[in-house]
Amino acid sequence: MPSLKDIKTQINSVGSTKKITSAMKMVAASKLRRSQEKAEAARPYSSRLEEMLSSLASSPASGDGIIKLLTGTGNDQNYVVVPVSADRGLCGGFNSSINRETFKLVKSLEGNGKKVHLIPVGKKSRDFFNRVMKDQILESFVDLNISSTGYESALNISNKLQELYFDGKFDKCILVFNKFKSAISQEVTEQQLIPLDVSNSEKEEEKENSSNAIYDYEPDEETILKDLLPKNVSIQIFKVLLESDAGEQGARMAAMDNATRNAGEMIDSLTLKYNRTRQAFITKELIEIISGAESI
Amino acid sequence: MATISFDLVSPENLVFNDNVGSIIVPGKDGDIGILPGHSKVMSSLRPGRVMVYNEENNLVKSFFVSTGFVEINPEKCILLAESVNEMNDLDKSTIENEIRNLESENSDSVNNKLYVARKKIEALESTFYKN
Repeated sequence: MPSLKDIKTQINSVGSTKKITSAMKMVAASKLRRSQEKAEAARPYSSRLEEMLSSLASSPASGDGIIKLLTGTGNDQNYVVVPVSADRGLCGGFNSSINRETFKLVKSLEGNGKKVHLIPVGKKSRDFFNRVMKDQILESFVDLNISSTGYESALNISNKLQELYFDGKFDKCILVFNKFKSAISQEVTEQQLIPLDVSNSEKEEEKENSSNAIYDYEPDEETILKDLLPKNVSIQIFKVLLESDAGEQGARMAAMDNATRNAGEMIDSLTLKYNRTRQAFITKELIEIISGAESI
Repeated sequence: MATISFDLVSPENLVFNDNVGSIIVPGKDGDIGILPGHSKVMSSLRPGRVMVYNEENNLVKSFFVSTGFVEINPEKCILLAESVNEMNDLDKSTIENEIRNLESENSDSVNNKLYVARKKIEALESTFYKN
């Protein structure tokens, strides 16, 4: 049976853990609000870019140069998978679900005879894939700190990806990231980044085609498309990074909230145990005294 | 006089959103002046100044944009810019320092930054449009 002192120490240590987790929860909550604002602020740009792109994507495109970002290389042998995780842990299943899904995706692609390379973003996925499939990592991006560096870091990733793409290093690029659904739930999402997947905007395209048909293009459609496509890649990455950042804060908030509650429960049960032990001690002493007095 | 709605959007946020009298944007093939009722145009941009005037033709705001796109229709003008600075926030000596620092390196990305920085100076010194 643990002594009173042991239990007391345990209560104290759980208590300080509780303080830490509740502080982390509050920090995450305030960061979440900021990240959410950022993600919302970025929305007008990406939605308008998509609009522009969907009206342009219908134009006849020739098969070389930058247009390849839209039309693809014609092959689908080489894949690049980009898992986007957080740099830090203590946010529940946030990172592990990304790693798990990416791992599954890679295995299933390899099962179909494709070659897969990885460009992990964020420390947690880099470390994970460094352990399990080190030789498949082309490049990794960590310490992005997207909420302060903003668009620049997205641009770095995008430039690297495009450089590799035009070198013929891969044919398709898939992002795996946590989509921010609400403050307490994230959804692991796969998105094909290169070549551009216009199928989901097709409906809009049809709707708008009638009105967009009479646009004048300056200099001309193809030149604009060539400018627009690389930008779209960067913007998509930027959007994903922001979503993932907001998701991370949300996940951390939920995880820390749980931890705080668990610590509270633990303290309650430990306090009960402490009181019982103390009472047992007192009773024992009393019995000793009484039986001592009786024997005289 | 009629007004046209003007949105200036950067990846980070919505910079400007109001009804204005006229706008001048730096189109790839030359500056484009936009008045309400402009025909439908989509254009890419070069680094330069975006001038925003109110109905009385007084300058409301001026911005520097690096690159981007503009979509114009008779009621609305949407400008998507990669990076936006307000002209008043640009400081000539800081940019000149930046240019000096950049000139010591030499790579594709730096050359691009250098180009944009030089354009900033150009924009600061330009008196072509009414301030």
